[in-house]
Amino acid sequence: MGIENPFQDPLRFERQAPECAIVIFGANGDLTRRKLMPALYRLAYDRRLSAGFAAIGISRTPLSDDQFRDKMLESITQFSEGTAVDADVWAAFARGLYYVAGDIGDAGLYQRLGEKLAAVEGERHTGGNALFYLSTQPSQYAQAALGLGSAGLGKGGGWRRLVVEKPFGHDLASARELSGQLHEVFSESDVYRIDHYLGKETVQNILAFRFGNGIFEPLWNRRYVNHVQITAAESIGVEGRGAYYQEAGALSDMIQNHLLQVMATIAMEPVASFRAMSVRDEKSKLLRSMRGMTPEQVLRNSVAGQYGPARVGGQEIAGFRQEAGVDAQSPTDTYAAATFFVENWRWAGVPFYVRTGKRMPKRVTEIAVQFNPAPLHIFEGDGGESAPNLLIVRIQPEEGISLKFLSKRPGAGMTLRPVSMDFNYGSSFGERLPSAYETLLLDAIVGDATLYTRQDMVEASWSVVEPIQNVWRETKFDFPNYAAGTWGPAAADEMLARRGHAWRKP
Amino acid sequence: MVAPEHVLSELADLWVSLGKQGQAEGGAGVLRACTLTLVVLAEASDDAAALGETMAALMPEHPARTIVVRLSGAGEPALSERVYAQCWMPFGQRRQICCEQIEITASDAALADLPSVVLPLAASDLPVIVWSRSARMFDLPPFGAIARMAGKVVVDSAAFADPKQALRRLAEMARSGISLGDLAWTRLTRWREMLARLFENRDYLAKLARISSVRVAHDGASATSAWYMGAWTVDALRDVGVGAQVVVEAGSGPAALSVELAGGGFRVALERREDRLVITVDDARNCTNLPQPGDYLLMREELGVVRRDGVFERALASAARLAYATD
Repeated sequence: MGIENPFQDPLRFERQAPECAIVIFGANGDLTRRKLMPALYRLAYDRRLSAGFAAIGISRTPLSDDQFRDKMLESITQFSEGTAVDADVWAAFARGLYYVAGDIGDAGLYQRLGEKLAAVEGERHTGGNALFYLSTQPSQYAQAALGLGSAGLGKGGGWRRLVVEKPFGHDLASARELSGQLHEVFSESDVYRIDHYLGKETVQNILAFRFGNGIFEPLWNRRYVNHVQITAAESIGVEGRGAYYQEAGALSDMIQNHLLQVMATIAMEPVASFRAMSVRDEKSKLLRSMRGMTPEQVLRNSVAGQYGPARVGGQEIAGFRQEAGVDAQSPTDTYAAATFFVENWRWAGVPFYVRTGKRMPKRVTEIAVQFNPAPLHIFEGDGGESAPNLLIVRIQPEEGISLKFLSKRPGAGMTLRPVSMDFNYGSSFGERLPSAYETLLLDAIVGDATLYTRQDMVEASWSVVEPIQNVWRETKFDFPNYAAGTWGPAAADEMLARRGHAWRKP
Repeated sequence: MVAPEHVLSELADLWVSLGKQGQAEGGAGVLRACTLTLVVLAEASDDAAALGETMAALMPEHPARTIVVRLSGAGEPALSERVYAQCWMPFGQRRQICCEQIEITASDAALADLPSVVLPLAASDLPVIVWSRSARMFDLPPFGAIARMAGKVVVDSAAFADPKQALRRLAEMARSGISLGDLAWTRLTRWREMLARLFENRDYLAKLARISSVRVAHDGASATSAWYMGAWTVDALRDVGVGAQVVVEAGSGPAALSVELAGGGFRVALERREDRLVITVDDARNCTNLPQPGDYLLMREELGVVRRDGVFERALASAARLAYATD
């Protein structure tokens, strides 16, 4: 066994990426321009990348290395929030950018990529390490992985990893099929399924909040928690992605991946150690504990919605069916809500209400844990039931945690009123929060899969969502059923009202 | 005289007034942020504006109740105080965040009373960190009492008249159980990081066993940093079974600090040239930006290390031994 680097000091040194090449398929796409390149540049700016770092862009458009660098500089200038482009940092970063043109279906592309990787390894000393990032159409994932395998690029002198963006299949069978194809070239431990929600600081902070503090965990169960609401609302519509969106829908696009992952983080059992395998094992166990719905239960415990036209703030907003690229009779859900139950001793009987929608009144993602009221109301008109204790974890836009409780109003008499104790991530720690992609890219380069989704987690979430999908596919909904700028269809309110609950207005 | 009860009552009044002011101006009030108590010991001659800027820069990341003790020197026993708030409005938000600041002026003759004033003013249940900007304070009797009530004491051994003696005193304090930080060590973080990063390369790591000498040169002003660097490097090499001779000397070249690891035809050197760090591995040379970190950056790092730093404590003990061995 070789010696370890004796100079490391984890208490003081920032986590560093080892030397490697990132190969980005879909280098001309929106994700690369808006998220990946700005994130990589920021990592370089923060000196997190090693001198032996390189990025190879792959796309069909013929470009020279220099033309690719110019395009990436434009993207970084336009999309790097809070990071100025520093001429020296950019010059050093740009020297590690390369480009290979080609079609994902063309075997010649992988031949050329292999030659480029070898040249880059010699030039930049990447140690043979390569991270392949599939930022392409999902239908091309398997093709790209198999192409890499056929050219012998799935293995090399160093490590080889594959990063895949969602969606991971469109149902359970296709998710399994995709995993099977990826596994022909990469082992599961080398497949990194990215869910950018899990890279957000507040989602990571849920783990710190739950398992770093002793006071919350004793309350974190069916005895004290009345119900949980998870909301991911967007104020925008499909923004030019109508054609893609009408194939996906809110249930598949948001609940199957992001929101069930968030729910697993909030509800999972404590982990024995903060290692990738332990954390992912517990999340997977939680997802597998979720009760699959029968068709009758789907009708009672889920609500599909689609926004219609409305006038919001003096502006006429088109309905979904009027959006560009969307079928005028489209049955796609732009809103989805469901009541889930977890069948384990901790959560049995506690409803988890999950909702997501487009064209809602505002952009907000948050988790609200509502606790049971005090067993006795000794203060007259204390509002104990109408103002329950709530713990709110805000994921966006202002990341933070709030605890709402009742307090005596100053003055004579015993009048209670709800007050909020707020922890705001951005202001309590003035540090700039890294973007989710910075966190996740660095994790993948370092080989830390804690925040990535594993195959069994993907399959477990599809097992939960698929029964709903199946019923919805057979149901003729009376769409549109909510106006743009509102909190969704009335049926969603009724779903909660049946259990004596009501959606929060975040 | 300064009565802690009076200061605490002034702080309470300050919050009521800030809260009313925040609401009257149509804002969402003020949010009090506090993660520690920071006691700053500074001479009256210490640039108040520069210190104020450093504190203001530190607060968003390390919100603290700050107690700035101004040492006014000789004269009648005198202690006086004032309280105020350091506030800022986070970008895009309506609510101000404020931290408490207490300024105490103390003559040398009143220093003995200082610990009994500072102790009750510390925020409950939060760490207390003492930052002594005054080298003179280090030798005054009340320093021990203040250091003992702190979770961590930060000094800058580079500012001491006798750096060798300073290292020995610091090592003694560390041995007595006081958790320390030394900005002369903090200045080396980027250097150490660069060295560590070099040896992440497998080819270089494989050559580590060839190293037989470590040579650190300094310009006199960075003597303690040089001893730290030499001690830390040799200790790290020893951890992987590599024995190397270390030499720490006053250099004559343009570099304020340089370190060279060499042996068996392999050579790694790091040296500062103005705001650049030049890294040489055999014949290959690389240059990176390395501006001199100011007080803000150094304290930002030290406030982020609130538990005992085993690497520093070991380097401190070795550096103290090394400083005397190089006589």
